[in-house]
Amino acid sequence: MQRSNEFPFEFDRERQQQRQAEIALKNKRMGINLFQISWIMAFVCLSVVNLVMRGNAPSWPPPGTPPLDPVLPTIATLGLIASMVLARRAFLAIQTDKLSAFLVQWRAVLGLGALFVAVMIYEWITLTPTLDGPPNQFNTIFRLMTAFHSLHAIAIGVYLIWVLRRAAQGVYRHADFWDIEAGSKLWYFVVIAWLLFYAVLYII
Amino acid sequence: MDVSKKPGSNGQIPLLPIALAVVAILLGGFVIGATTGAIFPVQASTAAYAIDQLFFVLLTIGGMVFLLVQGLLYYSAIRFRVNDQDTEDGPNFHGNATLEFVWTGIPSVIVVVLVFYSWSVWNQIQAPQPNETTVHVLGQRFNWVFTYSDPLGRLEQNPDLAQTFTSNQMYTYVGQPILLQIDALDVNHAFWVPTMRIKQDALVGRQTELRFTPTREGRYRVVCAELCGGGHGAMYTYINVFPDEETYLREFVDPQVNFILNPPDDPVLRAPTVLANYPCSGCHVLDSLGWVGIQGPSMNNMADTAVRRATTYNAPSPEYYIAHSIRWPNDDIVPGFNAGVMPQFGASESEPAQVEGAYYRYMPDEDLIAITAYLCTQTTAPESPCGDLEAIRVAVEEQR
Amino acid sequence: MASISVPLGGVGATTAPRPKLSEYLRWSVDHKIIGVQYIATSLFFFIIGGALAMLIRAELLTPAQDFMVDGAAYNTLFTMHGTIMIFLWIVPVLAGFGNYFVPLMLGAKDMAFPWLNAFAFWLIPPAGLLMLLGWFIGPAEAGWTSYPPLSTHFSPDGQTLWAISLHLLGVASILGGINFIVTIRNMRPEGMKYFQMPLFIWAVLAQSVIVVLATPFLAGALTLLILDRVAGTAFFTPSQGGDVLLWQNIFWFYSHPAVYIMVLPAFGMISEILSVHARKPVFGYRMIALSSMAIALVGFTVWAHHMFTSLQPELRIPFMITSMIIAVPTGIKVFSWLGTIYGGRIRWTSAMLFAMGFISMFVIGGITGVMVASVPVDIHLHDTYFVVSHFHFVLYGGTVFGVYGALYHWWPKITGRMMDENLGKIHFALTYLSFLGTFFPQHLVGMQGMPRRVAEYAPEFQAMNIIISISGFVLGVSTFLILYNMVWSLYRGKIAGSNPWRALTLEWMTTSPPPPYNFVGDPIPFEDPYGYGTEASREYLKAMDERFVAPMLNPALRKRPDAQLPAPNPSAGD
Repeated sequence: MQRSNEFPFEFDRERQQQRQAEIALKNKRMGINLFQISWIMAFVCLSVVNLVMRGNAPSWPPPGTPPLDPVLPTIATLGLIASMVLARRAFLAIQTDKLSAFLVQWRAVLGLGALFVAVMIYEWITLTPTLDGPPNQFNTIFRLMTAFHSLHAIAIGVYLIWVLRRAAQGVYRHADFWDIEAGSKLWYFVVIAWLLFYAVLYII
Repeated sequence: MDVSKKPGSNGQIPLLPIALAVVAILLGGFVIGATTGAIFPVQASTAAYAIDQLFFVLLTIGGMVFLLVQGLLYYSAIRFRVNDQDTEDGPNFHGNATLEFVWTGIPSVIVVVLVFYSWSVWNQIQAPQPNETTVHVLGQRFNWVFTYSDPLGRLEQNPDLAQTFTSNQMYTYVGQPILLQIDALDVNHAFWVPTMRIKQDALVGRQTELRFTPTREGRYRVVCAELCGGGHGAMYTYINVFPDEETYLREFVDPQVNFILNPPDDPVLRAPTVLANYPCSGCHVLDSLGWVGIQGPSMNNMADTAVRRATTYNAPSPEYYIAHSIRWPNDDIVPGFNAGVMPQFGASESEPAQVEGAYYRYMPDEDLIAITAYLCTQTTAPESPCGDLEAIRVAVEEQR
Repeated sequence: MASISVPLGGVGATTAPRPKLSEYLRWSVDHKIIGVQYIATSLFFFIIGGALAMLIRAELLTPAQDFMVDGAAYNTLFTMHGTIMIFLWIVPVLAGFGNYFVPLMLGAKDMAFPWLNAFAFWLIPPAGLLMLLGWFIGPAEAGWTSYPPLSTHFSPDGQTLWAISLHLLGVASILGGINFIVTIRNMRPEGMKYFQMPLFIWAVLAQSVIVVLATPFLAGALTLLILDRVAGTAFFTPSQGGDVLLWQNIFWFYSHPAVYIMVLPAFGMISEILSVHARKPVFGYRMIALSSMAIALVGFTVWAHHMFTSLQPELRIPFMITSMIIAVPTGIKVFSWLGTIYGGRIRWTSAMLFAMGFISMFVIGGITGVMVASVPVDIHLHDTYFVVSHFHFVLYGGTVFGVYGALYHWWPKITGRMMDENLGKIHFALTYLSFLGTFFPQHLVGMQGMPRRVAEYAPEFQAMNIIISISGFVLGVSTFLILYNMVWSLYRGKIAGSNPWRALTLEWMTTSPPPPYNFVGDPIPFEDPYGYGTEASREYLKAMDERFVAPMLNPALRKRPDAQLPAPNPSAGD
């Protein structure tokens, strides 16, 4: 066989790079979605554990444990839902280059998120019996679920703060807003995971 | 079965070889299935007959599948082999809908049949029987303790006395329907009698049940089938099946009941029965009682050992050392053995089940006196090196 | 040596340069480097796990507990053997092949998230190290299933390390699973529809779906276990309101699907190898592809068949039904494979021998699988050597044979050199026979009454156990034949050329080993990945070789800047 010395393919570098950028964005979007589907299963797992423990126990909550007071958490949950809407609006705002609107809404998301975490920490600490008291299954699983969720909220909140600082520097605009998209999608995840837990802990 | 429809046969279907192959596969399946009886141990319960029958069917069908697949595989591998240097391609053949339908459909039908057959066998072996005798069994590392009540009700007339009696081996008789209530003290175990084809896990915190009816006289091994720690392999005992109820009562129940009704004064004589309430034989060797466990130190000549250990351990007397080692087993660990394996046999009935480093079981002083007195007799010397019964009583009471 | 490679047009005369050894020892986002890193790491753990198995068999030569100092030490052996073989050998080695070949088979330059890919790999060495470190603080001894309370109150601190290590490995496989799904969905070449993908890709896709949905449950279970061990919670401690069955349920909800995680990619490998070496299209391609997905989905409903002796009796029958149903898609695969080789032109290459050995052994595992799926039979067989035998037939006779076949099949692509075929055949013969000798008799001792996980057993099983142990030692030694062959071939092996088996899938449409950017330009897939036996396929092979691959071997063209297009998006993988 003779070996060709000419390169046999046409090469449009620009088109190639554009296609790669498109695929990269598509990949990242799908990756985040898959992560959401996957990791929500860990929350489903803990919910199932809660339900099984409840099914096993002769009475739930166990005798001597007052039922949960739903007032504060419900307010915090409503705030969290509002923050999800705000995150969505902020995400739409940046796509039309409304930076100031974005910043206001993004800060509001963070504020509501911080409020929620503060409420959950308060609930976590003041839950009766308190940490020094005798352990019981009801408190253990409550503390595990809320702590597990709040850790996610805090970690993702830190990411949102990083995004906010970068946004304030004017890094993002309508053509380049991946970090904000990722941040808002992760925040939806935090909210939806909490709604699952809220239903299991306070409603069912 | 469908060799003919495969690609590669050159037009004509060779009927005779295929018919022979089908016959060989069907017959071969039965031959394989027929080994069931040779492989399984003897059948000693009603469940064994039903399960073996089911296994025979499974093995026969499995054997046919095995022969079909291996036959086709070896046939293809040899018949269609070409030289490694060959560069030709095989036929461009992508599939055959009929064939695929067949090999989806037939297994589906087989599976449905097997599901219903298994289901009916299952209903049969776990169905409650009339006149079931309830026996309780406690699994603990690394032995079983069986608890019975008197079938003739003699103990109920004396409510002050113990209402049940225990043994480390199980006793029953041919045709006695048994409901076994199974508990686990420390970790999960599983109660398995291979000859009876019955198995049920013993779960901590959840009582489980097992029903069976022995059908064959003899002494069969009871095996722990769920990993329970270092002595798992040594955790076995026996189930003794007497030929009839009369023998069962005479040989096993009556002496036990008599012992409760008229306990001997001498604690040494009481000891073997007392010991059957505890798992000791699972881990220790003691020739005089037939113990063969290896997870713990040997109890042979225990009185002599206690004299030596008492010196190193600064115990006031051998009987003190023995009693203390049962109440507080982790205080003096014999070289070569591990702390935390032996349960703590405490003096208080209300102690929490979980204590630091070991599992807790209640052992009344009376039992400990009997056991200590018995172990004091285990010596090569003409006379026990321990003190008298009163000294033993004092030594036991000091352990509280 | 029998030369299978009749490379087209003398391409085999030259070999493409291999990456330097040092590149494999450091962080790299090249999926091929990562793939080799996975395979090499897992082979290391395979040897460790194998050595543990040898110790187990040595102990079981006699019915008494003699070789190991105490029973707990013996328990650590099979605990670590099981854990290492599953989580540090089979899962990563399959991930390695997936990493190396999924992008190549798709004609892509890399995985969707190269950085994440490297990150997932680099979780494995520390996790493996943690697992091994357990030996210094008292290793886990509760079996790879780690049922509490044995694993909570009765196991030394190594059990905590064990759980942390599995946590890391779980994260690694979730990240890998996400990466595979995105790669397969988005990076297929233009013109390759789902039903034109190679079956290995289908298998990896089905596997990744399971990984992504099931592994978080393992994370949940392990979190509870760790908390019970270190934080004083009582999820699994009944005396404080916990439940021992809770662990069994969550654990098996992950770990049964995990069996399919461990076997589905091997199904894919087998489909590739059988078709290529029998020179015949895969029989019933669609059914094989769809049955993988069916297995993945039904696999989520069968977990409690591992608990037929502990589960509440009334719940046992439903799980028996689903467990039996899953035999049907598995059977479809086996018959389709037989249909694939029937009437083909079979070359007895080492890869093909192992692929056929896979069918031969796997079908036994499948038959015994149906037996233990039946509740009454499993009541007797549960936790006996019958079960040990069953899952070794599936995971060793199945997956490991598949991996051996894949090594012989794809080694030329990875290294550019052929492994020695004669040695490969000896390896196959020894492995096949000693495997049968090791694991077939285990069915019998199990049926007769020998439980698993014991150092001490009834004396009547000794004769059988001696046969098993001796075969086991031969099996252990035979492993070194392929390891030797791999190293030997790196230096002395015949130069492979780009496509020694004349296969049609895209991983062969580049040099061996492929350049860092895999392909110059985008390769055009053949309409049917297994379209052997047609004139079009022969022309396609010839055209690709001459016009597409050959230029890549030209040093001048290799240096062309156009050829050095970066992999898409190498840094922003998260």
